[in-house]
Amino acid sequence: MDLILSPVRAVGRGVLTAVGALGRAGYLGLDAAHALRKGSLWAPHLLGQMARVGVESVPLALFIATFTGIVLALQASYTFTGAVPLYFVGTLVGKTMVLELGPVLTGLALSGRVGANIAAEIGTMRVTEQIDALEALAYDPVAYLVVPKVLAGILMFPVVVVLANGIGIVSGWVTAMVLLDMSSQEFVKGLQLFFRPFDIQFSIIKSASFGLTVTAVGCAFGFHTRGGAEGVGRATTRAVVASSMIILVLDAFWGAVLL
Amino acid sequence: MSIELVDIHKAFGENEVLKGFSLSIQEGQTTSVIGGSGSGKSVALKHIIGLLRPDQGEVWVDGENVSRLDQESLYVLRRNVGYVFQFAALFDSMTLEENVGMGLKRMGEHSDAEIRDRSRKCLQMVDLEGYGDRLPAQLSGGQRKRAGFARAIATQPKYILYDEPTTGLDPLTTAVIDELIMRMADELSVTGLVITHNMTSAFRVSDRIAMLYEGRIRFEGTPDEVRNADDPVVKGFIEGRPELMESMP
Repeated sequence: MDLILSPVRAVGRGVLTAVGALGRAGYLGLDAAHALRKGSLWAPHLLGQMARVGVESVPLALFIATFTGIVLALQASYTFTGAVPLYFVGTLVGKTMVLELGPVLTGLALSGRVGANIAAEIGTMRVTEQIDALEALAYDPVAYLVVPKVLAGILMFPVVVVLANGIGIVSGWVTAMVLLDMSSQEFVKGLQLFFRPFDIQFSIIKSASFGLTVTAVGCAFGFHTRGGAEGVGRATTRAVVASSMIILVLDAFWGAVLL
Repeated sequence: MSIELVDIHKAFGENEVLKGFSLSIQEGQTTSVIGGSGSGKSVALKHIIGLLRPDQGEVWVDGENVSRLDQESLYVLRRNVGYVFQFAALFDSMTLEENVGMGLKRMGEHSDAEIRDRSRKCLQMVDLEGYGDRLPAQLSGGQRKRAGFARAIATQPKYILYDEPTTGLDPLTTAVIDELIMRMADELSVTGLVITHNMTSAFRVSDRIAMLYEGRIRFEGTPDEVRNADDPVVKGFIEGRPELMESMP
């Protein structure tokens, strides 16, 4: 009997844990929306967080975008040779960078860099009672800690992604000219072929939602950390895994809704 | 009556920590709550400023029922209460001066220069003059505790809650901390509530001592009354003789 019941119990416990986490995250989201009114608490920290979340993430995002652009150009050329005119390399690099790989790869990389950082920072503050200390000093910890980070994520992810898109396209362009013997005119012709201004909007909307996801999930897991260093480690890992999964789901969602 | 906890029950999952905890803290006095590790002393303390809400019972501070206050009213109440955390809970990205000035900054009634000045004075009161530019990581355990004191007194609160202020400290540093608690009461006329399991400290700093046992107050009295108590649980605890407590029916 136990053999049958124990997997059922495990699933039940898992579901209860997930529902509990969702509920707590929901409450935190409501508190954060409420805390938006307390500008005097979060506004002084917004610029600093924008620098941490956005500016400091630029090198990593550009590194990823550079090599993504190179690989896209090489794979497009390999696929198209003899079947499709080579200027379609420009089309594929441009479309894929802007619509998909720019936002998604940047989002996934930053869920590791930014999301883990936020979960570890807030988690450490939780287990060392620094969040209780904020409350004891009459600070609303959600307004003070969560709101500036989440706003910085929403505002700065699109900036980082636009830069990554640009660098990815430029690296694909240079690759096409240097390694594929394409002319600059050919690449630009392909790049312009199916370009629509909405592609940029799509990329920005997606990346803003990824920014919200990574920072909010990092804050939620950090905020509800329990149990010392091990708890902080667990919260950090869960934050990265959860935000990566949500990014992939959102990626499909935006594709279905907006394209 | 300044602070009163009435029939507090609090459980974390299956673990019922407080089972009818009641305690009155008289204005101008220092009261210590003693009890074994994990007996729920810190949990009781956190109820006073609404960091935890009771499952049942009421917490009254200056005539306000804390358990019914909304978040904004709680923040107003907390400005009258200083809280010294067990491990100081200093903000590790800030210097000591910034840490100490946090409460004053939040009040929004002082200029930056006034906050700096007051922070320095508070650090001076706890013998940390000249340490204002240091980060918490650059301090010893005792210095961190003292910095936590400075932060708690910066807003000149009416009440100070001390959560195990001497745990993990050597006897000399413990004496320094005890001295600070007594100075706070004498010089600033604050009402103090000290959570401790260090009996030497409890006898030294307290006007009254209450013992928490199995989720409720087992005994309450002056230090002398506690010393002379016949209750085997109290006797066993203060004399460090568990066999007395185990002989309880």
